[in-house]
Formats: sequence, C-alpha cells, structure tokens
Amino acid sequence: MRKQWLHGFLDLSLLCLLAERRDYGLGLGQRLAEAGFGDIPGGTLYPSLLRLEKQGLVQTDWETSTVGPRRKYFDLTPDGRAAAAARAAEWREFRAAVDRVAALAEETA
Amino acid sequence: MNAAEWHAACDRRLAELGVDPREARRLADDSAAEALASGLHPAELFGPATAYATSLASAARQPLAAPLARARGPVVLRLAGVTKRYRRREVLRGVDLVLRGGEVAAVVGANGSGKSTLLGVCAGSVKASGGTVERAARIGYAPQQHGVAPYLTPDEHFRLFGAVHGMGARKAVATGTRLAAGLGWRPRDTVAGKLSGGTQQKLNVVLGELDRPDLILLDEPYQGFDQDSYLDLWAQVYAWRDAGAGVLVVTHLLHDLDKVDHVLELQGSEDR
Amino acid sequence: MTLTIAATSLREIGRRRAALLLVIALPLAFYAARADQQGQAIRFLALGVGWAVATLSLFSHVNSRHLDRRLTVVGASPSALLIGRQAALAATGLAMAAGYFGLIALTQDVERLWAVAVLLVTTVLIAAPLGAVVSLVLPRELEGALALLAVMATQMLADPEGTLAKALPLWSTRELAAYAVDPVGGEYFERGLLHFAVVVVLCSAAAWTAAVVRLRPQALPQPAP
Repeated sequence: MRKQWLHGFLDLSLLCLLAERRDYGLGLGQRLAEAGFGDIPGGTLYPSLLRLEKQGLVQTDWETSTVGPRRKYFDLTPDGRAAAAARAAEWREFRAAVDRVAALAEETA
Repeated sequence: MNAAEWHAACDRRLAELGVDPREARRLADDSAAEALASGLHPAELFGPATAYATSLASAARQPLAAPLARARGPVVLRLAGVTKRYRRREVLRGVDLVLRGGEVAAVVGANGSGKSTLLGVCAGSVKASGGTVERAARIGYAPQQHGVAPYLTPDEHFRLFGAVHGMGARKAVATGTRLAAGLGWRPRDTVAGKLSGGTQQKLNVVLGELDRPDLILLDEPYQGFDQDSYLDLWAQVYAWRDAGAGVLVVTHLLHDLDKVDHVLELQGSEDR
Repeated sequence: MTLTIAATSLREIGRRRAALLLVIALPLAFYAARADQQGQAIRFLALGVGWAVATLSLFSHVNSRHLDRRLTVVGASPSALLIGRQAALAATGLAMAAGYFGLIALTQDVERLWAVAVLLVTTVLIAAPLGAVVSLVLPRELEGALALLAVMATQMLADPEGTLAKALPLWSTRELAAYAVDPVGGEYFERGLLHFAVVVVLCSAAAWTAAVVRLRPQALPQPAP
C-alpha cells in the first residue's frame, strides 16, 4: 500500500526536497529515507527525476569535486518552484480531507 | 553481468524502445556516472538493466512543454439516430454524436454492446440500418483484430499504406518509423506475424495515423498491451487531439474518462 | 498503387515457404507418376499446376481479407487490390509454368510443344481468379484447399466428353493437352480456347464483382462544419 502511495507522491516529495535545497541523486535518496519513506530504489528515483526534468520543473548540472567523482546536481527551475508550492498546497487540502474521514474510522473503532 | 554489460544492456533497451540514439547515449552516460559516484554496481543502484531502461524511456517520452492550447476544429464526425439491426437483433439503437477536430470521444459499454459495430459504421465498412452518418474523408482506422498482414514486415506495411495515401515509399517508412518511436517501439526487419501481441498493436496504431488523418477511429488494443504501452497509447491519443484531429476510441477499460470530451455509452443488444 | 500491392503480394507469397514448396511439388509428383504415358503426364501436370496456383490464390485472398477491408476504408480501390494480387499470383504461376515447360521440353518429345506452352498459360490464367472465387465461398485455407482438390480430382476422373467435365473450370486444359500430344485436328484447340475464354471471363467477373461488393465502403457525406 505504502509503495503505491509513494508512487503517486514521489514527484511531489522530490519537488519539496529540492525546494529546500539543490541536491544530487543519492543525497535525495538519503533525505527521503530520513523523512521516513524508507529506502527508495534508484530504479524508481532516477526515472522520476528525469520526468521532472523533461517537464521543465527541474534543471541539472554536473559538478566536479576535488575529492570524489563528478556528480549530477538537481535544482528547481522557476516553474518547478511554482509547481512545488502549488502541489504542496493541493496536498495539504487533500490530506485534510483524508484525515477527516480517517478520524471517523478511529472514532467508531 | 558486470557494470559495462549492464550499461550496454540498458543502452540497447533504450534504443529498442525508440529513444533517440543521442538521448539514449546521454541517459546511459548519466547512469554510468551516477553509479560510479555512488560506488555501487548499477544493478544494485538501479535494479535490472532492462526494467530501468523501460522506466527511463517512459519518463523521457513525457512532453517537453505543456499541452498545446486546443482549438476545436470543424465537425469531423456526425452521427444522428444511427441504428444497426442484424435480422431481429438490434445492436445499435439511436446513437447520436458530434465530434469535432481536437476532441476525443470514448465509446464504452459491455462486451457485445456494439462498440466494434459502431466503429465499423463510422469507418464505412458496416452499413447502418437507420440514421445518418457524416464523416470527414481523410480517416485513420485501427481495428481490433486482423489489422496487419502476418507475412509483411513493418516497413512493408508502411509502404503499402503509404501507397494507398499517395505517399512515396521513403516518406512512408520515415513517417512510420517516427510515429513508432512515439509509442516506444523501433520497427525491425521482422514479419508482423512474429512480433509480440503488443508490438503488433503498435504497428496497427501507427498504420492508423500514417496519413495525419482528420479523424482517427481506434479500437483500443488491450491484448498483449502492458501498462506502460497502454499509457503511451493514451498519451498518443491526446497528442493526436492536440494536433487537431478528432479521435473516436472504443475503450475496454475506463481510463480517465474525465479527460475525454465525449463519453458514448452503448447499451448493448436486445433480442426482440 | 496496384504495383505496390502486386509487389507486396509477391513478397507474401514468397514468404510462405512451406506452402510454396508443397504446391510446386504436387504437379511434379503428378508428372513423375505418369511420366511413361506422355499424354497423361502432361495432362496431370497441367491440372497440378492449376491446383497449385488456385490454392496459392486462395491462401493469398483468404489472408488478405481483413487487411483489404482496412485498406479500402482509408481509400484504396477494391479493383486495384484485386488486380494487384491477381497480377502477383499470375506472375508466380507463370514462373512456375515456365519451369515445368522447360522440364517437358527436356524430357518429352511432344508433337506440338508450343501448344503445351499455351495450355500451361491458360491453366494459370484460369487458376488465379478461380482461387479468388473459391475464397469467397470458403473463406478458410483448409476447406478451400480441399474444395479445390475435389474440383481438380473430378476434372481428372470425369469423362471428358460428359457434361460434368465440361462444366468444370479446367476442361480446356484437357482439350489443349489432347491437341498438344495426340494427332488430332484443330477443333480441339479451338474448343479449348473457347472454353478457356468463357471460364476466365466468368471467374474474373465473379471475383471482381464480389471484391467490389464486399470491399467498397459506404459512401459517407462530409459533415457540415
């Protein structure tokens, strides 16, 4: 069940994490795990990032570091920033609705 | 499978799925760099190469821009009180529809409710028993079954249908190949009878749109069609619509019916 | 368009390797079985060629039924489809007939060799539309092939002077074979050609009428905007 939910909300979660700060793929994976989503397989994470890039919400650039190998960094575009805010608001509305009906189940239980 | 083999398999699969070769190379390079940076074997990071390539290809096919602003065009199909009777069995009873360019109409209904008959009436291969049918002259038609010739390759299909549309052989093949890429498929030199069910359906759909018709009549394929192909097909339906064509789709699964412009529910036959 | 359809049909026929080999082998088997009796051998070979071409024609038309309907819906002409496919079949049949003609010329000392050529050509020209006609009545490969076999077997066995034999499509083949092999008069040749002409016209007309009636889509008026 959680897996299916995540599938629907991964794009939103990624937009929100990127709204906080730009990051590279593995870093985003770690931050999703820390947020409580569990391990997100790369096979799910990277196609999602690619889709956001294709939609013009995310931009990428490669950064070489002095210590490690070069890494691809993801950042929001202005469109992405607007989409993150809009979708987060939509999500809060939706969550409130689900909370209200979920509360009914808890009351009667 | 070592890392290099994994990347090669990923690259190959991307090409098979019709991703532009340069784009495929870029995606494969990115994946290789990402795996290198993580210090993990690509299979550990991304999972099986072919599955990953399939997800990537599907993500890469997302439209670059927001959908075009749609202009509703002229009427391409007008059905008024269309009925069809086979002896005493009434298959269609009083079907009305006005479909314009830039619109999608979904035809739904149980098995045997006359969906394919209605498609045949619109195509002109079935004569209506009553009512009037007006239809644009340039149409694309993708029937559910037997739409392709088992002993011909995809390119030969393109040339044959191209000839019917008065297209040159080279243009027909180029157009077919480009349209196939949109459905995540790269045609090869294999006769249609040896293609998988899903790929045959893709060929069927491509043949239906070869001539940029004003009206596309599509019997939605479902046999042998996986989830990704299914979503690609609907993306294609909306792409046709955005390009100004009218699309009539017979659909078996109720997919996002709020996104289509008309829903025509058929009641089914009645013995009298 | 007719040319493209003919070329496409040729490719389709060529790709049915097993069927093609079998229909090429059958006349050969007939011929070999009767090689000692010149007249019978040539007669059987010709009837075998007729069966082979008619069967290929049947397969081709049965297989393309649905595709042809689809093509006519988007604007192909039913006549062009029929003519294209028939041209491909006739070409295949004539190539086959040329091979057998070479075989006869090499292995038999025939009185009128040119008449053998005429008889093989007429047989092919009847067989191609005949297969199309049978595909209308029996739109399945197995049933159709069996029906054709029955027609040919009857043609072989029936008394050539009887009404039954004359009513069958390849009676001309028997008459022309007699003219080619036996020291008979020109009336055999004339009767044969006349029968051939009648059968070819009938079969072609039937195949063409059926193609147009079945395949021509409804004329639908353009909608007012």
